Amino acid sequence: MALLAVLFWISPAAWALALRFDSALVVESPAPRFPAQLTSRLVSLPDDWAASRPGRGGPVWYRVVFDAPGVHDRGELQALLIERACSSYEVYLNGQLVQRDGPMDETVTRNCQRPHLVTLPAALMQDSRNTLDLRVVGQPLERVASHLRAARLSALEIGPQATLAARHADLMTWRLTLPEVVSATLLLLGGFMFAMGWRHRRDSYLAYFGALSFGWAIITARLWWEDLPLPPAWAELVLCSLMPFIVMCAVQFLMRYAGRRHRGLTIALWLQCALVPASVLLIGERHIFWAASAWYALLSAETLAAVVVYLRLVHREQPGEFGPMAVLLGAMVLLVGIEMVGQQRETAGMIGDLSHLAIPVVFVVIGLRLVQHFARALQSAEEGRQSLEARIREATAEIERNFAQLAELRVEQVTERERKRIAADLHDDLGAKLLTIVHTSESERISTLAREALEEMRLSVRGLTGKPVRLIDALGDWRAEVVSRLAQAGVEADWNAPTDDVPHTLSARAYVQTTRILREAVSNIIKHSSASHCQITCTLGEEDFQFVVQDNGKGIPLELDGRLDRGHGMSSMKQRAKQLQGQCLVESGPGYGTVIRLTLPL
Amino acid sequence: MKNLLLLEDLPEIRAWLKSLVLQVFPDARISESARVHDALELVSAVKFDLALIDLGLPDGSGVDVVSALRETQPEAQSVVVTIHDDDEHLFPALQAGAFGYLLKEQARELLTEQLQRISQGEPPLSPSIARRVISYFAAQAKPQASMMPAVQLTERESEVLLRVAKGFTLPEIGVQLNLSRHTIADYVKQIYRKLNVSSRAEAALEAQRLGLFRR
Repeated sequence: MALLAVLFWISPAAWALALRFDSALVVESPAPRFPAQLTSRLVSLPDDWAASRPGRGGPVWYRVVFDAPGVHDRGELQALLIERACSSYEVYLNGQLVQRDGPMDETVTRNCQRPHLVTLPAALMQDSRNTLDLRVVGQPLERVASHLRAARLSALEIGPQATLAARHADLMTWRLTLPEVVSATLLLLGGFMFAMGWRHRRDSYLAYFGALSFGWAIITARLWWEDLPLPPAWAELVLCSLMPFIVMCAVQFLMRYAGRRHRGLTIALWLQCALVPASVLLIGERHIFWAASAWYALLSAETLAAVVVYLRLVHREQPGEFGPMAVLLGAMVLLVGIEMVGQQRETAGMIGDLSHLAIPVVFVVIGLRLVQHFARALQSAEEGRQSLEARIREATAEIERNFAQLAELRVEQVTERERKRIAADLHDDLGAKLLTIVHTSESERISTLAREALEEMRLSVRGLTGKPVRLIDALGDWRAEVVSRLAQAGVEADWNAPTDDVPHTLSARAYVQTTRILREAVSNIIKHSSASHCQITCTLGEEDFQFVVQDNGKGIPLELDGRLDRGHGMSSMKQRAKQLQGQCLVESGPGYGTVIRLTLPL
Repeated sequence: MKNLLLLEDLPEIRAWLKSLVLQVFPDARISESARVHDALELVSAVKFDLALIDLGLPDGSGVDVVSALRETQPEAQSVVVTIHDDDEHLFPALQAGAFGYLLKEQARELLTEQLQRISQGEPPLSPSIARRVISYFAAQAKPQASMMPAVQLTERESEVLLRVAKGFTLPEIGVQLNLSRHTIADYVKQIYRKLNVSSRAEAALEAQRLGLFRR
């Protein structure tokens, strides 16, 4: 005994640093204190119970002996760091209980990821031969689904509290805080993707990926959730049952993402979700580990098969997608493999911790990729919708425009037809009657009036049916009429008007009214002026054109001045000019001829 | 001795026209008709020297009679006597072969003078009709109408037409071109003739085209 104790006697020189204990005295005993009277064995730490005492759940006593020379002089706080103690433990220093963590009976499931820092009260410390006893209870491997939760004790470290606290904080970060953050991230991502997939039923792979992330977030919770409020057997069942669900989500996601749907596969996967807990229940809590391991192997194979099928499909159908997805899924398979190994046996601490963290990172990357694809698809769909809307709007506008044009055209056609009908009627009825009067009336005056009425009617009809007239054509018509009428009456006519380069047009109405005014002016000259010469000058301005009709006749008698209208049609000429927004001025002196100035807008 | 067809539906006007014709051609034999149908029968039975034809008639258009005369009696002169002075109405009649037109409401003296001139080969030509003729021949000269027998106006005829379109009277044009009044009148006559020939060729071609389509 003394010899054994010497083995653990640590030299004072090393005391400034933390002491690491890779072995300890072990006694399996339910005793309330380290049973010194019983024979103890020396075991190396970490002590994996599955190897050293299969099927046992404790309690097991561990003892290490150490010196702490000058501990009271230095006034330095000392502490014990336990990397892993699965599941509950008590710490005694020199026979005094200094720490108890977790229930010493099996009422809840504790996670074994948590590192423990136990401050060692200086008052209880001695300069040499301090005994540190640990009492550990846990779950035998057979009763848990993963090696992670099987009973064990890691190596122990004793040293200055400050040094160990830093190590403890590091371990806490890696084993608990980061998985916690990752869980939250996956939860958020999963929730988001699930909602997106739910809303867009056609993209159901999104919903499956969301559920997958969600499930993995829950699985990850086993790492940082200290006490699951369930008896160990139930907690193991729940964790076990989550796995087929996650695998189902993974397989469905891969198949749907590759654009495949298999009703049979879906049913089989759901059935598996029910079968796993049923079989575990059936086998019983004593053999959970083996049942779970068998299932995990099968589920891993399924997932691997799904990955291979997916990659083959993608390679064939979307070669661009193959590279990145192969890398991501390859990493995933590798990490899950490491995880699976960790389920089975103790892995070197850091690798296990990293794989816990890396899997969610891959999830997040895949998730972001999906969101990116989805956003791109959504954007292109939105663009498509917008362009379609624009096209519909254009088409509608086009139809409306066509309809309006058609309606306009129709109105024009009907109007034109009606105009022609009225014109024909006027000619046939009124025209014929006026004509009869012209040629049968005894009275020259009535005959003249009827002829004038006929001319008026004809001009009216032309104004009624007419299209715009080119001014150059109008000038030709006016010239022909004015010159030939004056010539017939023996009046020498001198017509000055532009004959080329006149781009303007006149409305039918303006053409007709101007014709009437000129006709009236010529009639006046022929009837009343006794002129022998008449000069007609037409000039074009920017916005109007002007006619000056000057004769060398006897002018308008004084007595008529002020009442120019009688028999001379002066007022109707002025009236017509006014209607066209123009004006007609008459200048006359008896014996000096008459000048008519007609200005009309273009 | 003149054989004359008078187609007019209004009795008073017909009587008046008859007196007018008799004033110009005192020894004319006048066949009167009030309907297109009757006139066409007369055309197939009697040989005419001159025909005065109204356009708007109860049973159709006088243009048909103009065409029939042109077909069967090319040497007969058709003159349209109408109340319409617009080229919309006159142009088809001129295309059909009418050799001038008279406006009914004009004073007797004017009409007799014009009738005399027409019978002497000096038909009237208004600026708007001239413009219509110009654009008609311009359209004929276009490449796509090349299948048409080439009836084209001479430079002089075009010159006369252009001047008429600008409102110059025939005597004025004669002075401008240093030509006699008769020469100018001949040009006008020639223009009317070519208009008829070209129109007939066009109509024949159109009929042929329709026939080809129907086959």
